[in-house]
Formats: sequence, C-alpha cells, structure tokens
Amino acid sequence: MSNKLHDQGDHFILTPKAEPWLERLVFNNRLFILVAFLCITAYLAYSASQIKPDASFERLIPLEHPYIQNMLANRDDLQNLGNSIRIAVEANEGTIFDERYMDTLKQITDEVFYLSGVDRSGVKSLWTPNVRWVEVTEEGFQGGTVIPDGYSGDKRSLDDLRQNILRSGEVGSLVADNFKSTIIYAPLLEVDPETGKSLDYKAFSQELEAKIRDKYQAQNPKISIHVIGFAKKVGDLIEGIGAIAKFAAITVVLTLVLLFGYSRCWSGTLTPIFASIVAVIWQLGILRLLGYGLDPYSVLVPFLVFAIGISHGVQIVNAMTLESARGFDAMTSARLAFRGLYIPGMLALVSDAMGFLTLLFIKIDVIKDLAVAASIGVAVIIITNLVLHPIILSYVGISKSGIRYVQKSDEKSDRKWHWMSYFAHPSVAPISIMIALVGTGLGYYYKQDLKIGDLDRGAPELRPESRYNMDNDYIIGNYSTSSDILVVMVKTGTEKCSSYPVMKAMDHLQWTLENTSGVESTASLVTVSKIVTKALNEGNFKWYELSRNQQIINSSIQRAPSGLINSDCSLTPLVAFLEDHKAETLQRVVDVVEKYAAENNTEDFQFLLGAGNAGVDAATNQVISKAKDMMLIFVYAVVSLLCFITFRSLRAVACIVIPLGLTSVLCEALMAQMGIGIKVETLPVIALGVGIGVDYGIYIFTKFEHYLLEGKTLQSAYFETLRSTGKAVMFTGITLAIGVCTWIFSPIKFQANMGLLLFFMFLWNMVGALWLLPALARFLLNPEKMVAKARAAEAI
Amino acid sequence: MRYIKPLRNLLAVCALGLSIGVAGAQDRDVLETPAMDTEHATETLLLDVTSAGNRLVAVGQRGHIIYSDDDGKSWSQASVPVSVLMTAVYFTDEKNGWSVGHGAIILHTVDGGQTWVKQFDGKAANEMVIAQAQNKVARIEKEMDSADEANLSDLEFQLEEAQYALEDAEFDADIGPSKPLLDVWFRDSQVGFVVGAYGFFFKTVDGGQTWSNWGARLDNPERFHLNSINQITGGALFIVGEAGIVHRSTDLGETWEMLESPYDGSLFGVSGNGNVNEVLVYGLRGHLFYSQDVGESWEQVGTDADQTIMAVAIGDKGQLAVVGNSGLMMLSDNYGETFRMHTRDDRLALLGARFLPSDRLLLVGEGGVSVIRGISKLN
Repeated sequence: MSNKLHDQGDHFILTPKAEPWLERLVFNNRLFILVAFLCITAYLAYSASQIKPDASFERLIPLEHPYIQNMLANRDDLQNLGNSIRIAVEANEGTIFDERYMDTLKQITDEVFYLSGVDRSGVKSLWTPNVRWVEVTEEGFQGGTVIPDGYSGDKRSLDDLRQNILRSGEVGSLVADNFKSTIIYAPLLEVDPETGKSLDYKAFSQELEAKIRDKYQAQNPKISIHVIGFAKKVGDLIEGIGAIAKFAAITVVLTLVLLFGYSRCWSGTLTPIFASIVAVIWQLGILRLLGYGLDPYSVLVPFLVFAIGISHGVQIVNAMTLESARGFDAMTSARLAFRGLYIPGMLALVSDAMGFLTLLFIKIDVIKDLAVAASIGVAVIIITNLVLHPIILSYVGISKSGIRYVQKSDEKSDRKWHWMSYFAHPSVAPISIMIALVGTGLGYYYKQDLKIGDLDRGAPELRPESRYNMDNDYIIGNYSTSSDILVVMVKTGTEKCSSYPVMKAMDHLQWTLENTSGVESTASLVTVSKIVTKALNEGNFKWYELSRNQQIINSSIQRAPSGLINSDCSLTPLVAFLEDHKAETLQRVVDVVEKYAAENNTEDFQFLLGAGNAGVDAATNQVISKAKDMMLIFVYAVVSLLCFITFRSLRAVACIVIPLGLTSVLCEALMAQMGIGIKVETLPVIALGVGIGVDYGIYIFTKFEHYLLEGKTLQSAYFETLRSTGKAVMFTGITLAIGVCTWIFSPIKFQANMGLLLFFMFLWNMVGALWLLPALARFLLNPEKMVAKARAAEAI
Repeated sequence: MRYIKPLRNLLAVCALGLSIGVAGAQDRDVLETPAMDTEHATETLLLDVTSAGNRLVAVGQRGHIIYSDDDGKSWSQASVPVSVLMTAVYFTDEKNGWSVGHGAIILHTVDGGQTWVKQFDGKAANEMVIAQAQNKVARIEKEMDSADEANLSDLEFQLEEAQYALEDAEFDADIGPSKPLLDVWFRDSQVGFVVGAYGFFFKTVDGGQTWSNWGARLDNPERFHLNSINQITGGALFIVGEAGIVHRSTDLGETWEMLESPYDGSLFGVSGNGNVNEVLVYGLRGHLFYSQDVGESWEQVGTDADQTIMAVAIGDKGQLAVVGNSGLMMLSDNYGETFRMHTRDDRLALLGARFLPSDRLLLVGEGGVSVIRGISKLN
C-alpha cells in the first residue's frame, strides 16, 4: 500500500497526477525537444562568445552607502587625488648618485612621459623641471631644478645633485630615505582628451611591463623597477581573470576522469559533462543577452554551474544504471530515473537558486550580479540536466560495462554501506551528536577571531606574494607614504573652503586623527598653509601656525596643489594616512571622524566621509557586517521553508538543516584561523555553501523517508538509502569540491579564498548529510508515527 | 513648594549643560581650547627649552608644554589652557615661569611648569593698543586746544599720525588676535618683557597680572618683527629682529637704543657666550656675529653653515652649541671663536638646545626632543 503511495509521489509539492503528465510531455516529444535544445544552444553559444570582461571599479563598491555617495557626488573635484602610478627605480648596488643610474632614470622618465594615458603636465621625477629646491635668502627666495645646471654625470654634478635633493625636501616622497631609489610619479587621465576614450587598464598595464619594466631592467641590470597604482592593480586583476580559462580546462578533465571511474561507462561519463557544458553555454549566453559582462566574481559562476550540473547529472546516471541493472531498457530506465529524481532535483535546484538570491541583500553590484548569474545558471540546469540529460540517455542508454560494474561492485560496496548505516544505530547516534556538539562548541570558540574586512597588507585583491604587493611593500618601506588613505571631504559654501573657521576646524580634526591609533599622519590645505606661512616668514618655525588673518591664509595657499582646492573653493580634502586597512582600524578612524562631524558640522561647512581606498573599504565593511546576519537568516529561512513545504515536517527540516549549520560554524572558524576576513568575496560563499549544501540532505532524506514509509527500521532504511543514493551523494560532494578547488591556485586572492572555502563547505556538507543526518533522525524521527500518518493521509 | 526650587535649579543646570555641550563642541577659539593630552608632544614641533631648577621645560605646537625631571629621559605634559603654537619659555626660578605664543598669549606657572594659567592674550593686547592710541589722540587734541600758533601745525601732524595708528589698531582688532609673541624675558618674578611680531613689546611690573605697551620705547617705526630678547653676562639687555635690527638697554629695559647692525637679513636670536659684555647675534643662512664690547662693534664668525641659525645654548667653560634649520648643529669649546659643524642626518630643524650634565646636549625642534651623548667627542 505504501508502494502505491510513493509511486504517485511521496510529496505534496505537486499533485500526484502531475508526475506522469510531465513525464509524458518530456518523453513523448523527445526528438522535438532535442532539436529545440540544439537550436537554442547554437544561438546562446553565439551570444556567449560575445561576452566581455568587465572590471569596473564602481561595481565593486557599495554604491548606496553614504560614504560612497558622498565620494561619487564630489568625484570630479577629487579626481586629482586618485588615479596615478608610482614607478620606483631602485639601484641594486650603491646609491642613486651614479652616472649610469641617473642616465637610465632619465630615459625611463622620457618613456613614461609618452605612455598613452599619462597626464604629462603632472609627471614628476628628479629629471622633470617641476621638481625644485628653494631656499630663503636675504633678498627673498632662491631656487632651481634639482638636476644642477650643466649636469655632466661627473662627481661634482652628483655632489651638487645630492645637495639639491637635500634642499628640495623630496626625501621620503620622490627619493627614498636610504637614497637607493627614486620615484617617477605619473598622474593618469581617466579619459583621453584627444580620443575621448577611457583608459584601457589592461593595455596600460601591459605597456608598463613591456616598455618600462622589461625594457629597462634588461638594458641596465643594476636597477630594479617597482610599480604601484590603481591602474597597475586593475591591469593585474584583469590578467588574473585570464588564468580562469586554464582552470576551466583542468576542471573538465578532472571531472571526466572521476566520472568514468565512477560509472565505467562512456555515455554515463560524457552525457552529464555534455549537459553541464550546455548549461554553462546557456548561462553565459543569457547573461550576455541581459547585458552583463564577466567581472572577477561572476567569472566563477560557470564553474559552479558546471559542478552543480555534474552533481545532478550523476544522480540521473546513478538512477539510470540501477534501473538498467534491473533489466529495463534505456527508454524505461530514463523515464524511471526522471520520475524518481525530478522532484528532489527541482527542489534542490530551487533551493540553490533561492540561496543565491539572498545575496541580493548585499548592496554591492558585483555581488548582486553574482546572485543573478548564479540563479540563471541554476534555473538553466533544471532544464538541461533534468530534461535534456535523461532524454539523451534515453537514446544512448547505459553501456553494458557500466551495468556490470554496478552489479559487481554492489556486494563490495554493500559492506561499506552496511558499515556506514551504523550512523543511524541507537548507540552510535548519541556519540555522533556529542561530536557534533563539541564541534559546534569548538567552532564557536575559534570563530571569535573572525574579522570583518581585509587583514593583509597591500592590495587585498591580489596575493601577498604577488609582484604588485611586493612592489607595494618596497615602496611603503622606503618612502614616507602609505597605501591606505582615508579622505574626508570638507564641503563649504562657495569660496569658503580656505576661510579661517573651516581651516581651524580641519586643523583640529587632523590633530584628533593623528592622536587616533592607526593613523600615521594627515595632510590638508591647513598643512600647506602652515608650511608656506613659515616659509614666507623666512623659514622661521615660530610661524608654523594657521594664521587668523585671512589675507595671510590666502597668500599661503596660492600655490597649493590643485587637488587640494576645487575650482570654486567649496571642497577641500583632508587626507589621513593609515597604518593598515584592518576593519577595526578603519572603523576606529571613521568613528572619530563621524563624531567630530556630528559635533562640528554647521550650515557653513560639513565634514563628509569618505573617499580614498580606506573610505571605500570602511563603507564596504559596514555594508558587509550589516548584510551578514540578514543574509544568513534569510538563506536558512528559505532553505528551511522549502524543505518544510516538501516534507511537511519540522523534524525533517531539522535533520537536513542542522548539519548545514554545523558546517557554517566550522567554516567561520576556519576563516578566523586562516586569517580570512568576512568581505565581499567570502560572504557569498556562505550563501552558496548553504544553498548547494542542502542538495545532499534533500537527496538523502527523500530516499530515507521513502524507505521508512515502506516500514523499514531506521538503520535498514538508511542502509537502503545509502545503497541507492549514497554513492551518488558522495560523488556529488567530490565533483562540486573539484569544480571549485582549482580556484585555489588563482593569482587573484579572493578567487583563491572563495575556492578554498567552497571546497571546505561542499565536502563538509556532504559529510554532514551522510553522517549527522541519520544520527539526528534517530532522535527526531519516529518511523511508526510517520507510517501511521502516511496511512491516515492515504485514507483520506 | 520646597521641591520646586531644586527642580528649577536642576532644569537650569541641564539647560546650561546642553548649551555648553553644543558651544563647547562647536567652533571653540584656539585661545580658549585647552591643549589636548597626547603621546605625540615629545615627537612633534617644539620651539624652545629652558630649565626650572633641575627641571627641563619645553614648549611647542598646539599648546604643548612638557617637562622632565630626569634630564630628558621621560617627559610629562603640562596642563595648558590654550592650544596655539607656543614660541618661547622663561623661568626666573624653579617655580615661576612664563611662556608666550601665537594669539599674543602669555601663560604663567607657579609650580615649575606643571600647570599654566592665561595672563594675557591678543584680544587684551589689541584693546591695550587701542586704548593707548585713543589716549594719545585725546591728549594731542587737548594740547591743541591750548597750543599757540607755532606748535599747532606740529600737533596737527602728530594727531594725524596718532589717528592713523588708532585706525591701524582697530583694523587689527577686527582681524582678531592674529599676531604672535615671539620671546619672553623676566628680570625677577615681578618685572618682565615680551616681544613679538609687528613690533609688539610689552612690559609688566606685577608678575604678568597687568601689561603695558612698551613699544614706543623702541625706535621701530616700521614695526619690524622683534624676534628675541635676552640678557647677556654683565647685565645688558638685547632685542634683535627682522631686517637685522639690534636694540640694547643697559638699565634693565627702561630705556633702549638702536645699535648699528652688522647685517641686513633677519636676526632670530641674541645670546651671551658666558663672558662679561660679550654677545652673539645670529640669523638667516648661517650668519653669526660676535661682539666683545656690548654690541658696539661686530665681527662675523666664519661658519660653513648655510642654514638659518635659530638658537644658542651656553655650557661650562666656553662651551657653546649653535643649532638651526635643516639639522644644523655647531659646537664650540672656546666661547664661539671656532666651531665644529654637524648636520644631523634627518635634517629636521633644531630650534632650541640645552647642555646637560655628563657631556650631553638636549635638542628640541621639528621632530620633538632628542638627547645627544658624548658631545665633546663629536668631531
């Protein structure tokens, strides 16, 4: 009797009659569907081939955050602060006071001058005429270029050069503290004024490598070249995306080998791979049709889609093989496999998609794009792997060798399954629960160190040992500069940005910041005013103070760098150089600024946060920490709700969801211990991990419930579950893990971090489903009641 | 009824508290804002250092005044009611000291530099100068009433000048307390002088409680900055300033005469060298002049320095230390006849110096405080 029940569907998600109807629709029109698939795939493949890489800065930041809105609102006035590169030319032996070194430096300066994208008027190096020394004399100021008149490279000119450098005050900014390197500073133009085209970061970065680094290091082996700047970083990132193609190939080959090892059947190996590749093509094609590009995050989605496709394909192949082993022909086996799997398969995929959609809570465009891309991918899999795949299999069938392999290995694996079925045993289950509890406790203990934001120095997107970050370390270590910059925008009425009340308030904020731990130094128009006021008073430090006399202030800032005053003097930046970009540092500093702003902002002037990379990081961290709990609650709520709708039992929901919770806690502990912070790239991992991780539980529980309703005891029902689907679930975990583990070798650090964490979550969710689920079932499920309830339902 | 009054008081206190809270946070004048407690006072700009008994006291930016009782090893930050750049400090004994700074601030301590109170500021200075100018105008007008024809045109000219000076002072007052005082010297705990920008020169005879404008006692019609005031061994007082001006008083500041200057450029300091009636003046671009006759005649001391000299410290037995901008440090063992020259590697400005026991020298300047050991062995 229970048989009849489950033949008509054990679930309440669809009416019992729907199943045969859908099955008939699919299999009676299989040729037509196949041809339709072929046409659509061809069209989408063409579309997918048009997709373009897209690494725009704006998509990476939380646009709705007030800091970012302030930054974007004042973007035109802040431009001079941002986009520039620094090229440090290091003398490997000796110092910069060397004829050959200076010669090479001159050539490099000239070369940089003519790079496309460089704002020539702003280029600074020892060889440019805008780098000067100034001295106060009885008659006034006296000065000249740092390169002495009549420079010939002899000892005397080099001595003069040294003297001029010391007088110029460029030590620490253009010349390293140890005189072993100097910097060529080049501001960049976002938009080429001649062509109107925006700067091509990839081309610019490649040009830097070829025309500057490679060329001159080869020409003069006694020098090394270090380059930093936003443009270089983005160039390196775009190059890193290219490495993904390699990973894709490796993933496909690895999957192929594993699948064949699993099924020992070529059709069972190639059809899921084929169906999954079709899914990837569809996903990319649809993405392109919707107008999206591939950014460093969404480039990972095809991997996920492929892996998820394979894992569902394996379920089909597994079911097909078992049905074929019972003697059915290809068509019937395919129909039976479809009938048995389309509900749990759809349920699993829908919960995947819902899990991804919770990422929409994070108000950062790349993450939203990731959510959309992944959801499209999963929706596509429902069609390709649950429809196309069984149709293809209904033609090609499972090979004899595959069926024989299943029959042969059945006995051997039965022993393994029998052994594993003890997880549901009444004396083993409590131990499992204890271990899980201890694991949760340990997880909570170790995840206390979990931090929001970035923990490493340098550019967080790239690995600490990447060339960019090594260059960054070199320049930070040898110059008085910091790569972590917070810009407070001081907004005033027109022509008021340099008025005494504003300047006084800025001065006070600067000092407050300098007394905040984590701030190395600050700079603003006030700093310029003090220095110049002192200089105008014959260099006497007794005048190193902000004057109350507006005329003195005005004359002191006449020649202030252009980035410090906008065209109508209504905005001036206050820059804080930070020691690092750890979340606590950033939060502490922005807290100080916000408190100061709240107390001191008036109608006449306001302190606004915050630009600079530290401002963006601080905003991102705030968005992430706010979204984190929301997202977790929603992803678990959605997954639980879907499970509840399907199984109509809170106990079933608990059995499936609790193992996921354990994995989430352990994953956070792992992150804390490995020094991976919660940030833009790791937050999606939690949603993806839970969304995909629930698949295992759903597949296991569907079968498990089925056998329990047949009246089997817990342990024997679990044994049957393992026999029928356990192998596929294990294999699913492995294929998913393989799909992401190649990312660990990505040159882009966040891809590596995502790969590592997803690898961990996919494997652990599988372990949780196979090991903890039956133990929980021992405590939570009552098979007799379930049978009685099912009978009662049937009686109605 | 009994409860109503306390309640009202409470409300009043709350309202007051609120208004203070808002006013306190917003837009406070630097002359009313106490110096912030900071760990950075010993490593940021300090302009002068002196001794108060065995204690060292240094002053600098943002109202920082620090003191050390262990020869500069450790420092404490004094409580200071203002947060402007303090330019100079002077003690008459181990307890009584004065410090001056921007906004024409004069601070006083009676506990050896641990706590300071404000005695005078630029608002008072402006009022004082205006009052004096008004008095002068009134006096001349009164004189004109009873003057005869011969004197009248002369008085008219004087009146015009006095009115011009008054307008000037009122204009300054409108800008606010913007002019700094640059140096301070006290004869004893009652009588003292301060000098500053644009010819500021004030005197007190009551330990700084009240100040009078002493500016008319100097021949300084162009109102040049007065950079430094100091007494040399033998008792003569000197003031030096912008454009090489040198003024001398041999009656403890009552009357002053302008001396022939050896130099057109600015002089930033004046100091004895330990010998009676011998005096050094110094300033821009390494210029250092030496007089053996209380400033009657000068001779330039040859130095290799091209950095501006800011301060001189006098040690025992002819020891002198001369410091200045861009890390300049020159040492002499013979009362300044010859110097050994150093340039400190960091090239930060050195603005004050003090000899310490056991062959050490304390320096203050752009980078805060530092102590140099074994100075007699420095080449």
